[in-house]
Amino acid sequence: MAGLTRTAGAFAVTPHKISVCILLQIYAPSSQMSLPFPFSSVAQHNRLGLYLLSLTKSCDDIFEPKLEELINQLREVGEEMDAWLTDHLTNRFSALASPDDLLNFFNDMRGILGSLDSGVVQDDQIILDPNSNLGMFVRRCILAFNLLSFEGVCHLFSSIEDYCKEAHSSSAQFDASNNNLESLTQYDQMDMENYAMDKATEEIEFQKSASGIVPFHLHTPESLFKATEGIPYGIHTFLLRENLEFLRVSGLLHTRKETSRTSKKDTEATPVARASSSTLEDTLVDESLFLRTNTQIQGFLMEQADAIETHGSSSSFSSSSIESFLEQLQNLAPELHRVHFLRYLNKLHSDDYFAALDNLLRYFDYSAGTEGFDLVPPSTGCSMYGRYEIALLCLGMMHFRFGHPNLALEVLTEAVRVSQQLSNDTCLAYTLAAMSNLLSEMGIASTTCVLGSSYSPVTSTASSLSVQQRVYILLKESLRRADSLKLRRLVASNHLAMAKFELMHVQRPLLSFGPKASTRHKTCPVSVCKEIRLGAHLISDFSSESSTMTIDGSLSSAWLKDLQKPWGPPVISQDSGSRKSSTFFQFCDHLVSIPGSVAQLIGASYLLRATSWELFGSAPMARMNTLVYATLFGDSSSSSDAELAYLKLIQHLALYKGYKDAFAALKIAEEKFLTVSKSKILLLKLQILHERALHCGNLQLAQRICNELGGLASTAMGVDMELKVEASLREARTLLAAKQYSQAANVAHSLFCTCHKFNLQIEKASVLLLLAEIHKKSGNAVLGLPYALASISFCQSFNLDLLKASATLTLAELWLGLGSNHAKRALDLLHGAFPMILGHGGLELRARAYIFEANCYLSDPSFSVSTDSDTVLDSLRQASDELQALEYHELAAEASYLMAMVYDKLGQLDEREEAASLFKMHIIALENPQGVEQNMA
Amino acid sequence: MVSKDSCRNEIRAAIRQLSDRCLYSAAKWAGEQLVGIEQDPSNFTPANTRFQRGSSSIRRRFSTNESISTPLPSIGFSQAATPLPEEDEAIDGDFYLLAKSYFDCREYRRASHVLRDQVSKKSVFLRYYALYLAGEKRKEEEMIELEGPLGKSDAINRELVSLERDLSALRRTGAIDSFGLYLYGVVLKEKGNESLARASLVESVNSYPWNWSAWSELQSLCTSIEILNSLNLNNHWMKEFFLGNAYQELRMHTESLAKYEYLQGIFSFSNYIQAQTAKAQYSLREFDQVEIMFEELLRNDPYRVEDMDLYSNVLYAKEACAALSYLAHKVFLTDKYRPESCCIIGNYYSLKGQHEKAVMYFRRALKLNKKYLSAWTLMGHEYVEMKNTPAAIDAYRRAVDINPCDYRAWYGLGQAYEMMGMPFYALHYFRKSIFFLPNDSRLWIAMAKCYQTEQLYMLEEAIKCYKRAVNCTDTEGIALNQLAKLHQKLGRNEEAAFYFEKDLERMDAEGLEGPNMFEALVFLATHFKTHKKFEEAEVYCTRLLDYSGPEKEKAKSLLRGIRMAQTGFPSMDLEHFPI
Repeated sequence: MAGLTRTAGAFAVTPHKISVCILLQIYAPSSQMSLPFPFSSVAQHNRLGLYLLSLTKSCDDIFEPKLEELINQLREVGEEMDAWLTDHLTNRFSALASPDDLLNFFNDMRGILGSLDSGVVQDDQIILDPNSNLGMFVRRCILAFNLLSFEGVCHLFSSIEDYCKEAHSSSAQFDASNNNLESLTQYDQMDMENYAMDKATEEIEFQKSASGIVPFHLHTPESLFKATEGIPYGIHTFLLRENLEFLRVSGLLHTRKETSRTSKKDTEATPVARASSSTLEDTLVDESLFLRTNTQIQGFLMEQADAIETHGSSSSFSSSSIESFLEQLQNLAPELHRVHFLRYLNKLHSDDYFAALDNLLRYFDYSAGTEGFDLVPPSTGCSMYGRYEIALLCLGMMHFRFGHPNLALEVLTEAVRVSQQLSNDTCLAYTLAAMSNLLSEMGIASTTCVLGSSYSPVTSTASSLSVQQRVYILLKESLRRADSLKLRRLVASNHLAMAKFELMHVQRPLLSFGPKASTRHKTCPVSVCKEIRLGAHLISDFSSESSTMTIDGSLSSAWLKDLQKPWGPPVISQDSGSRKSSTFFQFCDHLVSIPGSVAQLIGASYLLRATSWELFGSAPMARMNTLVYATLFGDSSSSSDAELAYLKLIQHLALYKGYKDAFAALKIAEEKFLTVSKSKILLLKLQILHERALHCGNLQLAQRICNELGGLASTAMGVDMELKVEASLREARTLLAAKQYSQAANVAHSLFCTCHKFNLQIEKASVLLLLAEIHKKSGNAVLGLPYALASISFCQSFNLDLLKASATLTLAELWLGLGSNHAKRALDLLHGAFPMILGHGGLELRARAYIFEANCYLSDPSFSVSTDSDTVLDSLRQASDELQALEYHELAAEASYLMAMVYDKLGQLDEREEAASLFKMHIIALENPQGVEQNMA
Repeated sequence: MVSKDSCRNEIRAAIRQLSDRCLYSAAKWAGEQLVGIEQDPSNFTPANTRFQRGSSSIRRRFSTNESISTPLPSIGFSQAATPLPEEDEAIDGDFYLLAKSYFDCREYRRASHVLRDQVSKKSVFLRYYALYLAGEKRKEEEMIELEGPLGKSDAINRELVSLERDLSALRRTGAIDSFGLYLYGVVLKEKGNESLARASLVESVNSYPWNWSAWSELQSLCTSIEILNSLNLNNHWMKEFFLGNAYQELRMHTESLAKYEYLQGIFSFSNYIQAQTAKAQYSLREFDQVEIMFEELLRNDPYRVEDMDLYSNVLYAKEACAALSYLAHKVFLTDKYRPESCCIIGNYYSLKGQHEKAVMYFRRALKLNKKYLSAWTLMGHEYVEMKNTPAAIDAYRRAVDINPCDYRAWYGLGQAYEMMGMPFYALHYFRKSIFFLPNDSRLWIAMAKCYQTEQLYMLEEAIKCYKRAVNCTDTEGIALNQLAKLHQKLGRNEEAAFYFEKDLERMDAEGLEGPNMFEALVFLATHFKTHKKFEEAEVYCTRLLDYSGPEKEKAKSLLRGIRMAQTGFPSMDLEHFPI
């Protein structure tokens, strides 16, 4: 048990602990009775025992319940004897009139313990085994009290007075609040003790319910790049988390070290405790905060850090409240430097660059990077020089997050150099990972020479290498080091990064000599899969070692949280047997819980899986993986990861179910995520609106949205590349729809150049396809053919099956554009791509394919309508059904037109008229887009 | 112009009133100023005046503008003379007398209890003041009792709440006097209500300007010039003292000096003004002058400890070991448990190269006053000397957190990180320090050096920094030389020649010689030779001939080359001038 590892010195007597002691006295009075006085049944007695057990467990929590809350809990536990319990408790407190009474009280407490060597215990006697949990607790309390100086006793005494007074005053206020709104708010303020935690649990529950309600489905091909974003962010946050996790571990080491030094002063409690209760505005934090031991505070800080990350800067979890809390904490304990780091995190998530920078530097100035960042055991020394390389690592990641890639690169280079100098391999591994992440994420043009000159293993070969190859080397290097240092999470995240790299880049020998060099120009889905699997192995590793990872500081609050659930009303209904076992399991559950960072990492692997399926072109698989992520990891993930999952689902909805469903889902997601910093929701909304405007033929609106999209991107070079590519891609498409072919081609060409410059290979494929599309529409089929073929070959080498199918469709259309004598060839091409299109394609793609099939048949001179009309009509009917949901008037009109023609040939006049009226309707809608816009608004 | 007599009378009355209310430090300050006023020569024998400072020959040398005799232009001294408040009771009550003696024995709570039912304003003030001090005393004790491993506890003065309640009630009914307002301001300040505290203190000093403690509290609340200018203060000569001090804290040293110079017209012998002037001069880096002023100050007031840490800094900078040890010995005998004394001793050990001992004394100074800014910075310097960089960084950072404008500490942080091979990280700190002192060439040079390190090698940025350093009149001449060299390295010979010439001019003006000079001469000679400006080249070569060593040989060969070029190959010249 974690409790054993701490000495009594780290354990301070507080009024709450005295309450627990009083209750223990009731539970196990020194008299010899099988069932002590107030209890009417053994079950009742046991229930109090279990309650006390959880209370003692939760004593390591940073917040202690106030007397009033304790009484409320007692009311639920104690059932009919609650009044007696409460009375007894308050009477005992009011009986404490002088410090001497306290002394006597603790002397009495000694009596309820059995003697250590007593082998003979009578059956009906209730005796607290000194080695049991409760016994240990009592012994620790007694010891801690005996260690107190007289001043300490006086302080304890006066804090007991406050403890009781507070309960009175707040209950009095509560009574008054029934008829007075003002005092109600005051009461709320007073009661905000657990504000952070309550908020957090609420938020999590809300998330759960939200993800449960929304009927989400699948995905989208053209925003390929969008999808892969989850990973880099994941790594950044992951690295932060990793650091924090170490904060936690080293916290324990730290305290242990202190105790072994037997310096009493260090291990003594930090009785910062309560300020005077006289002013209301001060009560918010001071009042409720019992700062006691280092571990407790650190555990608490860990929780706060998790909360900051999980909620980002969403409105329900305001960063300012955390900030003010941290400020107070810092005032109380100025030597607790970790608070600075937490403030940095908080500022980072609320996008306050200067404050974040300031706090980061301050943290490292004070702690020399040694407090909490013992990535390697402290015994290896080098504390003489501090660990400032970690400062560099953090600073680099901060610059990365704020979008200063060049600064970040400089700083990380320095970090590499310093960690090499100080031979801090762990930090080096992390730095390399961060660096590769930076290089792969930020569009750093290959022409600018980036990597600093000093990192020899890389630079000796690197000077001639492209950015991709450097990323690969860095990743490999980091993976190797992490593997040898057994940094499990880093290994896992490196595997994920590697998977992403494999996914996005063509395998090519690093140094290409001779004719054999170009043997394999493909991405390899198998290796992607392998890397993802390796990344996910983490979970099995952690379930075996979790016991060492979780520390009571953060865990103990979970004890109390659980406590409130099983003791709810249903407990009263006396089916105690099963109830208790379930409680027990819940308690056990916490002991084997997986650290949040691990869960997050595994979640990231699912997101990556979804993305890779998206790229490879399997819509159902992508959707499934996203859903797994949203349901299983939604509550442990950071808000931006969760947002990404939602985005994917909504995109899928838009493509496969039409806009109506997508907008409904978007509304829900908006409420949830719009306040998150750097929210992608707005981007998604614009994308969907643009898509819809294009389909409806509302080109002005489309153009406006395009401009807005472009405005979202940062103006700095090499930053927000995906966004910029997306914006110009959409601009080209808008121009294409407006039939301004040459301008569209210009935009697409320059876009292709940008993609080439920044090595965005996968985007190149879609740009090429767009170019082919432009030439097709402009009637220049011959010019379009090479683009379509190039696009197909790109798709092949990256295994982008769905995109390839759609390129094949374009190719077929181009062939048909060359003349009806090519209809047969076009049809063959189409039929080759059909399985992929029908199985995984979106509504638009499918409709296009159907219409094109009909077109092929109709233009084929050897095909006769009258004999084989069903083939054509079936396709057309399918197409118009799917276009209905999409509101794609142009294509729908084409389908209806073809249908009318076929019916005309067949001589079915009624059907012809029907199709013709449909045609007319779509044409009118297309020419009059304003009406549609009003609907949209 | 206020007459010296009226000043004298005002202060005399004020001292009595202040000590009646046990505001001892304000009374002490007022007393110092009282004897600082030039005595009326008619009342005293010449023997008496001889000891006054005006007779000092050193002083004459530095007080150039003989301001003592000439009437000054009255800058805003057309003040309505603030009438001295009448004492509200002619005879002090018995309880008051008892309470005051309790107070003098530092039994504050007892004093306050004795005065519980008294209604006279003096008694009421003393009651609250004693209560406040009792709370402060308890706070200090609690701080030690409750101190944990993570630093201070949240011990607070528990009387503040009741004090604030009572004083605000008094203020509302108008039953509060200016001393009460001062106490109210102090209480508000401690409760963190700065704007109200400021208002209360302004009211206090406007009605009773002679309470220097109130002025000092007000000054500590003026953190920016905007706040200072927004105060609505009556004109009084005390205001000039206040402004002088406030300007100094806001780093407006010349304005502050002007105020003190003016005040010296009345308080010609005030030690306080002398020390303040020395402080301002120190910030302007006029060390020689400051040293003389402090010497004089010590002659007149040999047991003074205040501000002597500054003097020790000056002695340190001038490396005057003996004088520093003499000073240290003296303050040690006077009062060894003053932070200033510890700091002086620390400085002495530092100068002697005994850094561990120096750190020990700085630590002691900090134990006595945790917010003692210069001790943190100096301790940082010591740790740097001891190569204990993390400790140095910690010390500097504490200094910066106490006063974010302390450019020395920012600079120290930058240096420490640079020492650890993190020049890019260090740059941020240098930038900070330059932000607070943009006119110091040393800072710019340090930053340039940082850019120049082989890890960064950002020479363009380094050049920019050196240029700024040159503009700030770089006394050591590093910047010009470096600029020339950097340009040479980057192959910009024109610029390099320009800066070498400038550097040469500077060295000539200061009569310096050395390797830098040879380097400049050699470069310039070869440069002009290659550009066919033989006359200039010859001038530099002949200058080189004056020195011995390899440079002389070099010059000779250069000269030979020049002759050859001028006479040996006339055909080349013909090419240049086609007919």
